[in-house]
Amino acid sequence: MPTSTVFTLIKQLLTRKATNPFPVKYTPKNMHAAAELIESGKLEINPPVEIPPDYRGKLKYDVDCCIGCKLCLKVCPSEALAFKPEEKKVKHYVARCTFCGQCANICPKSCFELTEEFLIAGTDKYADELVLNP
Amino acid sequence: MNLERLLVTLIFVIIIPFLGIFLGLLYKGFDRKITAMMQSRIGPPWRQPFRDIRKLFMKETIIPEGAVPWVFNGAPLIALAASLIALLYLPLGPFEPVMEGFGDLILILYLLAIPAVAMAMGGLASGSPYATVGSQRELVLMMSYELPLAIAAVTIAWRFETFSLGTIASTPVWNLVGPVGALGLVFIAVALFTVLPGELSRVPFDQAEAETELAGGLFVEYSGRNLGVFYLAEAVKLVVVGTLMIALFFPHNLSSWVSFGGPEIYGFVILELMADIAFFLLKLLVIIFIAVSVVRVALARFQIDKASYFYWVPMTLLGLLGTVLVVMDGAII
Amino acid sequence: MIEMSEEDTTYQVPIGPIHPALKEPFMINFKLDGETIVDADPHPGMNHRGIEFMGMHRNPLKVIPLSERICGICSIVHQHMYTTAVEHAAGIEPTNRARYIRTIMCELERVHSHVLWAGVAAHEIGFDTHLHFTWKIREKVMDLLEYISGNRVNYSMWTVGGVRRDIPESMHPKIEETLTYYEELYQKLEDIFLGDPSIRLRTKNIGILTKKEALELCGVGPTVRASGVKKDVRIDQPYAAYGDLDLDYVIPSRYGYENTGDVFSKTLVRLKEVVQSIGLIRQCVDQMPDEDIDSEPKKAVLLNKLKKAEGEGIGRIEAPRGEAIHYARLKEGVEELDCWKIRASTYNNLTTYAPMFMGEQIADIPIIAACIDPCIGCMDRAEIVDVSTGKSKSYSHDELHKLSVEKTKKLLEGSL
Repeated sequence: MPTSTVFTLIKQLLTRKATNPFPVKYTPKNMHAAAELIESGKLEINPPVEIPPDYRGKLKYDVDCCIGCKLCLKVCPSEALAFKPEEKKVKHYVARCTFCGQCANICPKSCFELTEEFLIAGTDKYADELVLNP
Repeated sequence: MNLERLLVTLIFVIIIPFLGIFLGLLYKGFDRKITAMMQSRIGPPWRQPFRDIRKLFMKETIIPEGAVPWVFNGAPLIALAASLIALLYLPLGPFEPVMEGFGDLILILYLLAIPAVAMAMGGLASGSPYATVGSQRELVLMMSYELPLAIAAVTIAWRFETFSLGTIASTPVWNLVGPVGALGLVFIAVALFTVLPGELSRVPFDQAEAETELAGGLFVEYSGRNLGVFYLAEAVKLVVVGTLMIALFFPHNLSSWVSFGGPEIYGFVILELMADIAFFLLKLLVIIFIAVSVVRVALARFQIDKASYFYWVPMTLLGLLGTVLVVMDGAII
Repeated sequence: MIEMSEEDTTYQVPIGPIHPALKEPFMINFKLDGETIVDADPHPGMNHRGIEFMGMHRNPLKVIPLSERICGICSIVHQHMYTTAVEHAAGIEPTNRARYIRTIMCELERVHSHVLWAGVAAHEIGFDTHLHFTWKIREKVMDLLEYISGNRVNYSMWTVGGVRRDIPESMHPKIEETLTYYEELYQKLEDIFLGDPSIRLRTKNIGILTKKEALELCGVGPTVRASGVKKDVRIDQPYAAYGDLDLDYVIPSRYGYENTGDVFSKTLVRLKEVVQSIGLIRQCVDQMPDEDIDSEPKKAVLLNKLKKAEGEGIGRIEAPRGEAIHYARLKEGVEELDCWKIRASTYNNLTTYAPMFMGEQIADIPIIAACIDPCIGCMDRAEIVDVSTGKSKSYSHDELHKLSVEKTKKLLEGSL
C-alpha cells in the first residue's frame, strides 16, 4: 500500500476540511422558525463564501436615468429585458438573467450596474424582488 | 440442556439479530464519516445508514420484466438470514457464542459464503447484462478470497486442535506459539486482513458493484425493500467478519488484565462486563478502520483478473508461509 | 437485452446513453467475450441541443454568452473561437493587450480542465480519494478565474474586438500566488498519478493508441500527443499571443518516457501541460503591453459594424482537449449570424475509441472512455431525423461522401 498516500489521509483526517459548510449543519425542521432565531441572534450561521471584488450579481436598474433607447434589449442574450412602451423604460426579469453584464456595457447612460447581491433564490420567478421595475 | 439455558438462548437468538443490524449500521455510518474526513470532506452524519434504510423500506420495490421473481426477491432475504445466523455462532466480546456446541469455524466459513452466492443469484436472476457481469465477478472474487480465508482458519484450528470458536476465542492464539509461530501468525493475519475488503465488496475489491463500470453491478435492478435488505445484510456482514477477525486473532479481554471488582450477576462482574463490551466495540472499530476505511481510500479498484491473482498467488503464498511457520513452531516446542 | 448467438460466446452490453462511466449522454455498444471487449461501436447524438440554430437567430453580440454555454468546462475556448471567427469575418482586430489577456485566460482554463480531468480519471478507476484531492486543489484556479472575471464558470470575458475585463497590475500578486501554489503541489500530483502503484496498474499499457493509428484517425490534442504526434495549434498556427511566447510540443519522449499512447502517457501529457501553462501565464504577465483592452469600446457602433459586415471567418484553437474550430458567416444588412458551425475536439477523438477499446477488459471501459476527455456537450451538433417518421438515422461513409460530392457540385455551379 502506498505509504505517502496513507500518511496524507491520516493528516487530512485531523485537519480542517475543504468542504464549505452549509449555513446551518442540518436542514431545520421549520425554516421560518429558524429564520426568526437567526434574526434574533440566537442561532449562529456559517457565513457565505467570500465573493471576488468585481462580482457579477443581481442587476441594479436606475429607472430615472433610462432614456428608453432599447440598446440593452439588443445585447441581452437570454432576453431577460422587456420594453414598456407606455413608460419608455425596461423591465428586468432577474430569474432569466445570466449575469453577463452586456447591458451595463452598452447602456449610454450607465443605468445598469452589477451589484454584489447573490442570494436571490425564490419560489416565484415573478415575485416583486425578482422583477426590476415591474 | 436444561430449561434455563434454553430460555437464555432463545432470548439471545431474538436480541442478537437486532443488535447485529444496529451495530452494522452504526459501523457503516462511522466508516462513511471517517472515509469522508480522510478525503477532506465533512461527510454524512453517522446516523445516515439508518436514514437510508428507513427511506429504502418506504420506496417502491420494482421487479424487472426479465427477472425470475422468486429468486430475485428471495436472494436478499437469504443473504440477510445467513449473515444473521453467522452472528449467532460467533463469540461477541466477553460472551460465548450463543449456539456454542452446534456449529464451528467450518460452519462460519460456509455461512460467510452464502451472502455472496445469494447476491450473485439475485444478480443473475435480474436479467440485466450489468448484473450478469457483476454476478460473474462476485463468484470469481468469492472463489479467490476463500483460499486465504480457509488457510487462516485451518491454521488456527490446527494450533488449537479444535474447530470450536468458543475454545479458540477463550485463549489468544498468540499465547500458544513461540516467536517463529508468532511471525507465522502475523503473516496469516495480514492475509486475512486483505480478505476483509473482498468479503465486504469494498474498494479495491468492489468489482461486483463497480459503480463506474457496471453502474452498481449485481444491484443494478434492485430497488426499495429488496435493496434495503441487501444493505442490511452488508451491514451485518461488516460486524460478522470483524468479529471473526477478533475471535481468531484478538480475543483479548480487558478483564484478563485489569480487575474491576463490584457487584455480580449470574457470575458476570458488571463493571468488567461493561469494560469488555466497550473494548470489543473499540476493537471492532479499529479493525474496520484499518481493513475497510483506510484500504478503501488508499487504493484504486483492481481489474478482476488482478484481484484474483492477488488472492490466489501473493496472499495464498503468504498464508501458506504463515502456516508452515506455525507448524514449525509446533514441532520445535 | 442479452443477445446470445449460437455459434459464438459474445454478448452485447450497451454503455450509455446514461451510465456512470460517462459523464454526459452518449452511447457505446460493446460486444464482449467474457470480460474482454471484441468490438466497440460509439453512437453519438444523444445530447443535441440545437445551439447553432439558436445562434443563427441572434445577433453576434448575443451569441457570445450563448457560445460559452456550449460546454461547462471549456467555456473560454468556445467564446474565444466564436469571437475570433466573427472578428475574422468582419475584419476587426483585437488589441494586443486583449490578445495577452485572452491567452492568460485560455491557459488558466487549461490548468483547470486538466486538473479536473485527473480527478475524473481517478474516479473512473475507483480511486475517489484522488478525485476529492484534485478537485480540492482545482478550487484555487477557479477562485482566480472568478477573481479576474467575476464569474466562476461562464466568464463572459470576451467581446468582439477584445475583452471586457482587464487584468491590471493589482491582480498580478494573486495570479503569482496561484501559480506558485500549483508549482508546489505539482510534484504531489505527479507522485499520485505517475507514481502510485495502484494507479499505474490501471493505466500502464491500457487503451493503447499507436502513432500510426493516431495519424490515420486524425485525433487531436493530448490524445495523440501521448502517441508522439507533434500536433498543437498553439505552435502550428499561433493565435492570440502564442506567437510571442516560448513553448514546445508536450510529448512523453521529451520527459524521458516512451510515446506509447496508453492512458498513462495521456495522463503524463496532461500533467506536463499544467506546468507548461503555468510558464506561459508567467510569460504573458511579464510581457503584457500597455494598451486598451477593447478595440471598439462603443458597443452600439460595433453592432452596426457587424450588421454591415460581409464575409466568413474561422476561429481555431488548441482547447484543453485538442484542436477545435468555429466557423461563422456574416451577411451584409442582416443582423443575425448567417451561419455558425462548431467542430469540437471530441468529435475527432471519438474515432480513436475503436483501436483503444479493442482487446481490453470491461473494467477498463470507464478509464479509456475518459482518457480522451470526452465533452459530449461540445461535440453533439447534429442528428439526422426523418421528420415524417420521427426516426433518427446515421449515414454511412459512402452516403456521406456522395452527399458531399453533390453539395460541392452545387456550390461550383453556384446554385446554393
